[in-house]
Parts: sequence; C-alpha cells; structure tokens
Amino acid sequence: MVELKNITKVFNRNRPDEFTALEDVSLLVEERKVTVFKGPSGSGKTTLLSIVGAMAKPTSGRVLVGAREITSLPERFLTEVRRRTFGFIFQQFHLIRGISALENVMLPAYTTGEKHAALRERALRLLELFGLSAKARARVEWLSGGEAQRVTIARALVNDPKVIIADEPTAHLDTKLSKDFLGIMERLNAEAKTILIASHDPLVYESTMVDHIIEMRDGRIRGSGPAE
Amino acid sequence: MSLHERHRNIIDFALSSLGRRWKKNLALTVVYAFVVFTLASVVFFTEAVKSEARAVLRGAPEIVVQRLMAGRHDLIPESHIDVLRKITGTRQVQGRLWGYYFEPSTGANYTVVASGEPPLEPGTIAIGQGVARTLNAGEGDLIPLKGSKGDYASFEVVRVFSHESELVSSDLIEMHADDLRAFFGVPEDYFTDITLKVRNEKELVVVADKIRRLLPDTRPILRDEILRTYDSLFDWRSGLLLVIFAGAVAAFVIFAWDKATSLSMEERREMGVLKAVGWETSEVIAMKSWEGIIISLAAFFGGTVLAYVHVFFSSAFIFEPVLKGWAVLYPRFQLVPQIDPYQVLALFFLTVVPYTVATVIPTWSAATVDPDSIMRL
Amino acid sequence: MPTRKSTIFFVLAGLGAGALAVMVAHAHYRHQKAQAAWNESAALVKRLDLTDLCLFTDARYARHPSMADRHTPFQDSPMAMEHFPSGTLISPPPHLRPQ
Repeated sequence: MVELKNITKVFNRNRPDEFTALEDVSLLVEERKVTVFKGPSGSGKTTLLSIVGAMAKPTSGRVLVGAREITSLPERFLTEVRRRTFGFIFQQFHLIRGISALENVMLPAYTTGEKHAALRERALRLLELFGLSAKARARVEWLSGGEAQRVTIARALVNDPKVIIADEPTAHLDTKLSKDFLGIMERLNAEAKTILIASHDPLVYESTMVDHIIEMRDGRIRGSGPAE
Repeated sequence: MSLHERHRNIIDFALSSLGRRWKKNLALTVVYAFVVFTLASVVFFTEAVKSEARAVLRGAPEIVVQRLMAGRHDLIPESHIDVLRKITGTRQVQGRLWGYYFEPSTGANYTVVASGEPPLEPGTIAIGQGVARTLNAGEGDLIPLKGSKGDYASFEVVRVFSHESELVSSDLIEMHADDLRAFFGVPEDYFTDITLKVRNEKELVVVADKIRRLLPDTRPILRDEILRTYDSLFDWRSGLLLVIFAGAVAAFVIFAWDKATSLSMEERREMGVLKAVGWETSEVIAMKSWEGIIISLAAFFGGTVLAYVHVFFSSAFIFEPVLKGWAVLYPRFQLVPQIDPYQVLALFFLTVVPYTVATVIPTWSAATVDPDSIMRL
Repeated sequence: MPTRKSTIFFVLAGLGAGALAVMVAHAHYRHQKAQAAWNESAALVKRLDLTDLCLFTDARYARHPSMADRHTPFQDSPMAMEHFPSGTLISPPPHLRPQ
C-alpha cells in the first residue's frame, strides 16, 4: 500500500537547532492491516505518520503510494493523493471551532467540487453511524471529548480514504472511550480500511486487533513484528 | 469535479467562518458601508451639481467684462460698451445691472438683477422661491425694501420663479433696470458689468485678448471659465479632502482593528487544519478572499444605494448643515441624478479590491504552512 | 434540506446588483424628465444674463464664484472661519488660480 525507502527527515536544516527526526527508515505498510507505531514521545512516530500520509516531504528517500512515487510531486498533486488516500485523526482533534459538527465533517470534501446535497447526505450518514445525529447542528465546542473524537473520525472518513492515520488517538480519552475508539477502528478495519496508529498507550498496542507493531526510538525503527 | 461547486462550497464555509464572529463582522460591514456611503454621497452630489450646471449655464453670457479699480470689482462706465462694440467679432454688447441686498429683518442676502427682455413693469418684482420663503411673500404681495438713501420702496411681487429653477433663481429679486438704479443709487451712465456675445465661438480667446489690450482696467471672464468653475466646484483642497479624509480615517481604523484582531493563533491553526484535511494553499487563500469579498461587497452595495437615496430622495439632508453654512437663505433643490457607470465602477474597485487584498495578504504566509505543522502542535 | 448559506449570499448579491441597476435606470428616467425644467432654467439664465448657481448665499464670492474678484476671496486659508464652510468647499474660479 505505502512503501517508504530510506527515509530521512531533518528539521531546521543547516541551522544551530538542526534536528534529525527520522534516520534511514524503510518500511512497507500492508493493505487492510492495523499497524501500530510504538515508542516514547520524540521517537519520530508523528513525523513518520506525516510522511506516510503525504503531509510532509522527506529530506531524502522515496515514498510510494500504491505504485506511484509521490516524493517529487508538486503540492497540487500531493494534496490530491492525500485527499483520496488518507484520512487523519489528530491527537488534539483539530476541529474548527464555532461551526457545526456537520460542517466540520464536510470540510475535507468541500474542495473536491462534489455536489453539496450528496456530500451533506454522506456526512449525515457518517454522523449517524457514530451516534451523533442529534449533534449534527451543534457547534463542536459544545461536544464532549468522546463526541468530538467521533466527529474527527467522521471527518477522516468523509472522502472515503483507503488508509486511516491516527496520531496518539487515546491521549485525551479515558479507558472506556479509548476502548470505544478501538472498537470503531476494528469495525473500519473489517470494512477493508488500512489503519495506522501512533501510540504509546498499552491499551492500543496490546489490543487484539493490531496486526503489526513497529517500535521506534530516536528516529529509527528498533523492532518490527506481528502483534502477539 | 466542478469549479463552480467547489467555490460554492468554499463560500459556504467562508460564510460559516464569518458567522462565528458575526457581531464584529457586522460592525465592520456597517462602518465600511458608512465610509462608502460618505464617498458615494459626495460623488453623486458633485456630479449632479456639475451636470446641472452644465445643462443650465449653457445660456450664460459668452464673455463678461468686469472693471477693476484698485484691485476691486467696480462699476463700469457706459463708454466701455462702445469700445467693445468696435472689436471685430463681437455681437450684442449689453450693460448688466445687478447687486446684493441684505435684508436686515431676516438676515438673508438676496441677489438683485435688472430685468431682461421682456422687462417687468416698473414697481414690480419677480422673486425666487428662497426669497418668497424667507420673506413669507407670494404673488400680489407688496414688499418694502430699504434703498441706498435709507428710504423704503415698496414693490409688488408679480411672479415667483418656479421651484424647478431654484438652483439658479432661489435668491433672485428681478426688477426693472430704472428701479434698480434708483434703489441702489447706480449712476445713469454706469453698469455693474458688461456681457457680450461673439459671432464665432472659436474667436472667444482672441476677443478676450483684444478686450484686455483696449480696456486695461477690465477683466474678461469667458463662459468656458464659468462652466469650469462648476466643474471644479467641490474639488477644493479641503472640501472633498475633508470628507475623504474622514472616510480614510474610518477606513484606517477598521483595517487596524481588523488586522490586529483577525489573524490570531486560532486562525493560523484553522488554516493549518484546512491544509491538513486536504485543502490546497490556493483554496485556503480563495476562502479568505471570499470572506473579504463578502464583507466589502455588502458594504459597497449598502453604501452606494443608501448614498443614492440620501442625495436624490432626501436632498442630501446630511450635507445640508455643511452646505448651508452661515446662509439664512438656503436653496431647496431636488438634484437630478447623474450616474456615471465609470464612477460606480471606480467606487466598486476602490472598495471591494483594497479590502479583499488587505484581507488576503496577511493570510498568505499562514496559508502556505506545511500541512503537517498542526500535527506537531 | 435547509437553504445553503452561499445561496443566500448569491441572492443578496443579486439583489444588490439589481438595486444598482434600478438606480441607473431611475437616474436615466429622472434625467429625461428634468429636461423641461432645465430648459426653463436655461431660458431664465439667458434672459437675466445669469452666470452662477445659487448654492451658497452667505458671501458674494460664494454666491457668484465666477464673478469673484481677486482680492476678497480665496486668499485666506481654507480653514478661515469668515464664511466657513462654503468658502472652504468651493474652489476659486479657474481664471483666478495661478496657472
């Protein structure tokens, strides 16, 4: 599905605060599998996810999505690939405050030029799927943490991506909500979505649905193998 | 994938985004509309006065010859008329009698003119609407006016000039030339000034030159100059500038306020989110442009239409105190609208474009952030 | 399905443009209608040899700007209060201004 070849990512290059986030990382993300990136904060998990998800470009190395090399694509095409292939769930949710849950869900699809009515219909169905129908018109800041995260998941799904990427999704959730989240991921995985999660929460990487665990430290992959 | 639908979606979001701070944005639009309103009112008013002046003053004398004595406008002797008649190219040279009359009981200034052809009967006058209003007089009334010798002479009003002509006639008192001489004590062989017509309008300048040479104590004023006076009526350094400056100050305050408050960390974060969920830089900028267009377009339409109503339906009631000044007699004229499409277009570009650009520019750098930046927040 | 916000925007923008069009049409109509009154005023101007519009009656250079003589008006600063505001609003006639 997504293949990384010898990826290095350096921030603030040639400046005193130069910092290597990833060093020579190679990796193959398998389709329809749940992969967890495990490791302490600062180990390069988030950077790796943003490169896999075509959000950031590596300093060196190559990224292939499907069979397509995306490393050298200009912004427009990269955005297009990202929009079609990946849905993101952020640690801080990053919903747009002041507007309704429904509009937040529709947001990623606004720029595809899709017919408004069809898009709205789809977004409402997604909210319904997550038991949020009653909250569709509510401003997102009125939602509880769990509701807000489900809106975030709905938003990640609105363009029907093949891959869901979640960065520390359980960081702000209690155990019950974390389990709910994993349940949703399991359901999505059953619907043929590829799932990538960065987490140092045992609840996540010890979960039974995880197919593959990649351990990271200091910008390198330290270990990789199927979940026990 | 349709461009139209994409922009409609972006407009939807821009409106939702504006709606979040609707009180601030509404206030912004109202203040901006007021600035447009002020500018548009001035433009409409001056354009209307100019076009009216051009239409009405085309009948003004081609040349007026004034006599200057010791640098001041003075009565002109009848003998000058004969000199002027001998200049080749002149036609119809006439002495003109007119003056000002201050009415102490009302405190108003009137313009007294001698009757043209056909003349009024001696002892009768025709008055403008403004005179009729201040003196509370109408046709058939007898009006006593205080002459130069301190005695009162009574004149019968035989005509009140129409309301439609008020822009030229409001303060006029027309009386027979003999009455005027007797009333003001103007000597028999003198006039206020001399008007003349030329055979060929192309020779106006040549004729004016000859007048200056033959009668060095006079100054000829061409009709073209009279019309230009009205073309530049309000473009006096402070007149228009005063108004524009007030508008500019208000505009500046809006921008300062808006810019200071608009691109908060919150907004930067939002643009990062949009980028992260799959918007391109150009789409984020398009969204911000629409925000600017929506506000400035609303201000443009609102301000322009209100200005039109203000100037042409309410006779510019806000300007009235400014235009009235010290004058007791204030002409009440209903201006005839004169809309130049170029002006409206200019107004459009002066309001919508700068505001939109001003909205977009500060967002430029924020919109080009890397989409992954918010993951690192 | 509720009305889209963009639809409301387009309708309002259309109304605004429509109002402008009505304005232009109204101006045109009033212009046509004014011809008779203007002709009447022009005839009066011709008959009485008038040279100026009656806009300000507070000072003689303001009442008859084109007949103003060089030494009374306009040499004061525009903020001069003697006949503010009319003295500051209108400009000196072109033949009095330095070329």
